[in-house]
Amino acid sequence: MRKLGAITQRELLSLFCSPIAYIVIAGFWLVTGAITIWNADAFGPGKPATLRDIFMWTPFILTILVPAMSMRTLSEEYRSGTFETLMTAPVSDAQMVFGKYLASLIFYVIMLAGTLIYPLLMEVFGNPDWGEVLALYLGLVLLGIAFTAFSMFASSLTRDQAVAWILGAMPLMLLVLSVYSLVRRFEGWQREVVQQFNIMGRFGQFARGQVELDGVVFFLATAVLFLFLTVKVVESRRWR
Amino acid sequence: MIEVRNLSKYFGKRCAVNGISFTVEPNTIVGFLGPNGAGKTTTIRILTGYMPPTSGTARVAGHDVVKESLAVRSVVGYLPEAVPLYPEMRVYEYLNFRGKLRGMDRPRREAAIARAVERCWLAEALTRPIGQLSRGYRQRVGLADALLHSPKVLILDEPTVGLDPTQVRETRALLRELAADHPILFSSHTLSEVEAICQRILIIHEGRIIASGTVDELKAQVGGQRRVIAELKGPQAEVTTAVQKLAGIVNVRATADGGWTRLDIAANNNAQNAVSELAAGRGWAVRELRQEVPSLEDFFVKAIVDARVRQAGAKEDRR
Repeated sequence: MRKLGAITQRELLSLFCSPIAYIVIAGFWLVTGAITIWNADAFGPGKPATLRDIFMWTPFILTILVPAMSMRTLSEEYRSGTFETLMTAPVSDAQMVFGKYLASLIFYVIMLAGTLIYPLLMEVFGNPDWGEVLALYLGLVLLGIAFTAFSMFASSLTRDQAVAWILGAMPLMLLVLSVYSLVRRFEGWQREVVQQFNIMGRFGQFARGQVELDGVVFFLATAVLFLFLTVKVVESRRWR
Repeated sequence: MIEVRNLSKYFGKRCAVNGISFTVEPNTIVGFLGPNGAGKTTTIRILTGYMPPTSGTARVAGHDVVKESLAVRSVVGYLPEAVPLYPEMRVYEYLNFRGKLRGMDRPRREAAIARAVERCWLAEALTRPIGQLSRGYRQRVGLADALLHSPKVLILDEPTVGLDPTQVRETRALLRELAADHPILFSSHTLSEVEAICQRILIIHEGRIIASGTVDELKAQVGGQRRVIAELKGPQAEVTTAVQKLAGIVNVRATADGGWTRLDIAANNNAQNAVSELAAGRGWAVRELRQEVPSLEDFFVKAIVDARVRQAGAKEDRR
């Protein structure tokens, strides 16, 4: 536990020492704020006090920002050679990967926490449904859990941060956008299958206040899969 | 403490280490010497659990480097060649982090850091960010990290590269001091360094160990013969015959120099003492008596040239 904690702590320290952390956080808050202003009509008197319109496009924004947040994790260790000092310390590959993953997640939660201003404002000026708010934030956290694992996997593949970002962001963006726009074109069982990967749709359920077990399982399983693959990639670097 | 048997490592088809075997005994400093690209770093990386060998076995402090990798890593102190560090961390933060990675609790960590900092003269750099440190300081931070957990074995990859002469001297003194408690394996391509601090030397070239032994053994191998220069006061013919009769003398060349006889002696053993005793017995005054010591440099160059010649020969045979 101490080893895992040490890795998480060091990773957070490094993250907050780099400008990327602040750019990602500022970018997220700025875009969320801009969307809120564009949707200002939705918050007039008599309208439902819901956050749905603010966070509608958040999964898409996260496909860009989460890979930027996690692109350093392993790439930077490879590039600077500190990977060697980590791999020759008495720490298992899984401990190292999971410690770094936790740090990224903590950062992500800090980033999300900044948007709590919107439900709080709603509480001041209206009467939001806190169950719905809770479900929405659960959806956001689950999105982060899955996206962060995938972004770390991308980072484990290359020593170049920019490449890691593109490898992380492109597939996520394609998946989120293409499935969202294509799902209506399919019929019957094909639609059922495609629907499974509809991240916008799955997030939409949480945003409406519906906590579905299969959604929770989908995001958690994705995270487990990519964390496992990341550990395998890290292990395989020894064999080259 | 370190036992290596038939260790090989291939990167694709390229062979970096080719079936080497050696041992490092407790409380000795062993120098791992070879030109750049000889396979030193690869061997060291296998010993520290960074990469597995393609074939062969290695045991460090009784643990197998592949099967008990974590056990090996927890008893080895390792300083990698380029001293990779996190530039954004302060020295104390870094050492504290490394202590935690080694599973030390806070009191142990604090004591260990204090000791390592004192040994590596890091006190005044403790709160500075690593990114601002000079090469010499970075090296010391790496060394402090390697010493932090009182390792059973120290493995250092070119520990004095990039240091200024004072720092090199300090580092060597520190290594000698450390060898009292830990066996040390360190690599270098600087001969004088290995000669200055090592009890045993392994010379590696193109993935093979081409020579090993103590400094003196290696020197003795250079030509097999030693050269002794002597100037004695005595008649040339008499002096020459007397010296020729001494044991182990191969050849004597004499020249007269106004009553003095200058001798250039090739011998198989330490002829210096014999000549000195002879001169004393016969009452010949001695103006000069010295043995030309073959340098390790001669050996190094010779060993590598020999290896190249053997290889060229092997290639010819294959044709």
